[in-house]
Amino acid sequence: MAPLQKRAWYGLGMGVIWVIAIVVVFILKGGIGTFNEDTGFRLIYSGLFIGGLLAYFLIMRKPGQVDERDRLIMGRSPVVQLWAVIISVVIWMIALTESYWDEGHIPVVFPYLISNSLFIVNTLAHSVGILIGYQRGVSHG
Amino acid sequence: MASVARIRNRIRRLRFDHDEMTQEELAKRAGCTRQTIIALEQGKYVPSIELAFGIAKAFGVTLEEVFQYEETG
Repeated sequence: MAPLQKRAWYGLGMGVIWVIAIVVVFILKGGIGTFNEDTGFRLIYSGLFIGGLLAYFLIMRKPGQVDERDRLIMGRSPVVQLWAVIISVVIWMIALTESYWDEGHIPVVFPYLISNSLFIVNTLAHSVGILIGYQRGVSHG
Repeated sequence: MASVARIRNRIRRLRFDHDEMTQEELAKRAGCTRQTIIALEQGKYVPSIELAFGIAKAFGVTLEEVFQYEETG
């Protein structure tokens, strides 16, 4: 297994744990309803969010020996990231529109959560894109 | 109907013909990773012209002796 591929697996594994941790914190702390009132909740969430991002960057920062094939795969992973972000935005748009249509407004916490979730999706999709590249193979031209 | 080009290679054969050169050794000579050599031998990767020449040079043969261009369809 190429060093970059190995790191992508570590990144994906860490990312899954990261997402599960955030979801568990949300469930245990009472969800969106208490997010606005509970400062401790927001601090824990922010810590998890920033910690996860830092951990991912630390995992991926030095992938070891990288040759042209690795660079080619890295260069194509942004396509997966783009699609993941687009799909996430669409899901958020539909979910929030349908949930808050009658109220006529969306709680202010959601833009904050949307932007954070897109960071997370983009980060995980980076690893997924790399792993797809190794699985499917690439070629020059 | 448009034809589809496929690049084949004889890297594995050439390695064995050159004193059973290991993938690691070929990778070092050609300037790539062992995993790239593996992918090349499995047909999962088509190299750049630069790497293709590097591999041919590592074997001391011409490019055409390593890589073959085939049209199918």
